[in-house]
Amino acid sequence: MKQAWNDYNPGNFYDELMYAQHQPHPFSYKLMQYLQSMKKEVFARRIKESELEMRERGITFTVYSDAGNIDRAWPFDIIPRMIPKSEWDRTEMGLKQRMNALNQFIQDIYNEGQIIKDGIIPEEVVLQSKGYRPVCKGITPIHGVWANICGSDLVRDDKGVMYVLEDNLRVPSGVSYMLENRKTTKRVLPEIFKLHNIRPVGDYPAHLARMLTSLRPDIADPAIVLLSPGIHNSAYFEHAFLAQQAGLILLEGADLIVGKDDFVYMKTIHGLKRVDVIYRRIDDDFIDPEVFRKDSMLGVPGIMRSWKLGKVAIANAPGCGVADDKVLYAYVPAMIRYYLDEEPLLPNVPTMLCRNEDDLAYVLEHLAELVIKPANESGGYGMLVGPHASAEQIEAFREILLADPDNYVAQPTLKLSVTPTCSEEEGIAPRHVDLRPFILSGNETYVTPGGLTRVALVKGSLVVNSSQGGGSKDTWIVDEIINEGEF
Amino acid sequence: MLSRVAERVYWMARYLERVENTARLINVHTALLMDLPRQKEINWYTLIKIFNCEQDYHQQYERIDEKNIMRFLVSEMDNHSSLVQALFQARENIRTLLDVLPEEVWEQINELHLMVKASLSAVGNRRRRQNMLLQIMERCQCISGIIDNHMSRNYAYDFIQIGKYIERADMTSRILEMTSLLASDSASEQVTKHQGILWANLLKAISAQQMYLHEKRTSITANKVLDFLITDKALPRSLCFALANIGSYLNVLPEPEDSLLIQQQILENLNAYRPANIPADQTHFFMDSFQMRLMELHQKISSRWFYPDFEKI
Repeated sequence: MKQAWNDYNPGNFYDELMYAQHQPHPFSYKLMQYLQSMKKEVFARRIKESELEMRERGITFTVYSDAGNIDRAWPFDIIPRMIPKSEWDRTEMGLKQRMNALNQFIQDIYNEGQIIKDGIIPEEVVLQSKGYRPVCKGITPIHGVWANICGSDLVRDDKGVMYVLEDNLRVPSGVSYMLENRKTTKRVLPEIFKLHNIRPVGDYPAHLARMLTSLRPDIADPAIVLLSPGIHNSAYFEHAFLAQQAGLILLEGADLIVGKDDFVYMKTIHGLKRVDVIYRRIDDDFIDPEVFRKDSMLGVPGIMRSWKLGKVAIANAPGCGVADDKVLYAYVPAMIRYYLDEEPLLPNVPTMLCRNEDDLAYVLEHLAELVIKPANESGGYGMLVGPHASAEQIEAFREILLADPDNYVAQPTLKLSVTPTCSEEEGIAPRHVDLRPFILSGNETYVTPGGLTRVALVKGSLVVNSSQGGGSKDTWIVDEIINEGEF
Repeated sequence: MLSRVAERVYWMARYLERVENTARLINVHTALLMDLPRQKEINWYTLIKIFNCEQDYHQQYERIDEKNIMRFLVSEMDNHSSLVQALFQARENIRTLLDVLPEEVWEQINELHLMVKASLSAVGNRRRRQNMLLQIMERCQCISGIIDNHMSRNYAYDFIQIGKYIERADMTSRILEMTSLLASDSASEQVTKHQGILWANLLKAISAQQMYLHEKRTSITANKVLDFLITDKALPRSLCFALANIGSYLNVLPEPEDSLLIQQQILENLNAYRPANIPADQTHFFMDSFQMRLMELHQKISSRWFYPDFEKI
């Protein structure tokens, strides 16, 4: 094992644990010392243990292309990723600021539309967003908050600057894996918790339950359910896990019915019981066949009517996905300035809008250097990573882009940060990572300390999505002052 | 509690009970065959008859031998009454019940699933198969223990108990039915000679031999065994015990009257059973009608709590 670490070289990338080759950051020094002193066989055994642990606890995710096989063990890398507390405190403030502005924006465009009237954002940019739902006009959810649960993706460049890459406002997933990763680290590397003060993450479910309860201040003990599309959804494990941990009632569309009085009821052995808050893990499109997709078998007919009348709270609010759009993303710094009169604490990745002629001309000339993304896709689908694409792929994409330029944005290819990761072929090697913290907004805002670190397990790859071969890591927010005492 | 959750915990309990009982039955039957001389009436195929799956078996296999029958009953996913299928169904139900069950249940069923997956190739090998089946039984008992010691006595628990006892009663009656068929008039001299072993074997298959010996302090005879397994009030594997318990768990559910009525009738029938009145070799008729009534009870439970007409409410 010693050998493997000596060879470790982050190259030109910012490394989460290493300041330079052979040189850890001050905050990661103790962890690195510990890992490097571990015998190769011991380390390999811990990896095996972590894999068994994940399988036995049934921590799985589903890949749609994997017909019939709904269990895939969750890929976990045992070397934690660390972020010093002082940096995290700033990041957390930035995330709160951003969520605040985004929620004000959604509230604004479904009501007064002041930001459009004031010429900050063109109306057609709002209307082109796939998540825009005219049916939501005139609604004000409780606290004026639309996106109650958000999972933003953060990345670093080669200077170590943390950027917001996207805001996942619809039904972000991954938080259960953040919790399970910590549990697994505690089981397979219990000793290393002596070395650092690590902020705990385990109270997320309690914060989730509190936030959901806050959506019905008019009811003392609201009935809260988690609405899942069912066991074939890729995140079903997470739905069941969160219901279990937060004390929510896990159910599916077929368990709910909207009564003649427009209240939502669940079907119980005692007959119909009223539901007050719905944490839905179903996209807008499928939530109510009376309003959105008629063929949806997952949703509940009439549920939108009930929500609009204020008879049930839904988190996230229908229509909140309007701001989860790669074109609107480019305007978030402007939103922060407009609504809060503050400078953004967390930068956006510089983004060119192909709807602007000048930007488009530049993009077409520099396809091979840029990342081009469609406005409204997630999971890394439908995009072009210029430096990693063949000449044919680039030319094919040029056609796609020219056919519908309004639908695309372009960003420089970031030299994403790396962190030491176990790889089968190279031992311990640098691999690219991102970070997805989760932000809860109800009557107050809560940010998870850290979040889910996703890692591209393939050498040189930038794709961290678990559906496309990504793995994950436990993420530590640590005090820079090392605690010398034992516990 | 959600109707769907009631249905799923009920089926989870039935499948878990089925897994354990199937494993035990196969091991006991294997041991029995080692005691008996090779002859026609009692053989591997007897197991296929107990599970009532003759037709399915012949659709998939031509040869009747230990290897095929074991594959069919233990490891065949295409056989809806195989052990792995029951285990799969139990796990799929538990997957949707994480918010209802003690969390160790999910871990235990995963460990069981991984263990079975890794050792399925052992099915053809008698010694390894026996070990695997023993481990399966232990895991199932472990899960029952977790449920018993960690779960609140709520509606979910009630439905688990109802499912468990219905499945157990069904399985016990099938094994009783088969044994009495084997012991019937048509039996050959060979079988008659081994009556003692046959009835002792029955007790083992139902995990009741020790309790029988302890309670009865006497040799094993057909009538006494039948009486014990059907009417005993204290043995948790007896039919009367199962039905009485089903009654007490039904009793706490909302509006149980229709289901209780059927349960009461079945229990009265069992209580009235006297082995002397029905010869052991006629018991299978009694068991047939018992199984029919049990099915009726299941349907009543299903229509009352799992699929009531919510549109009307």
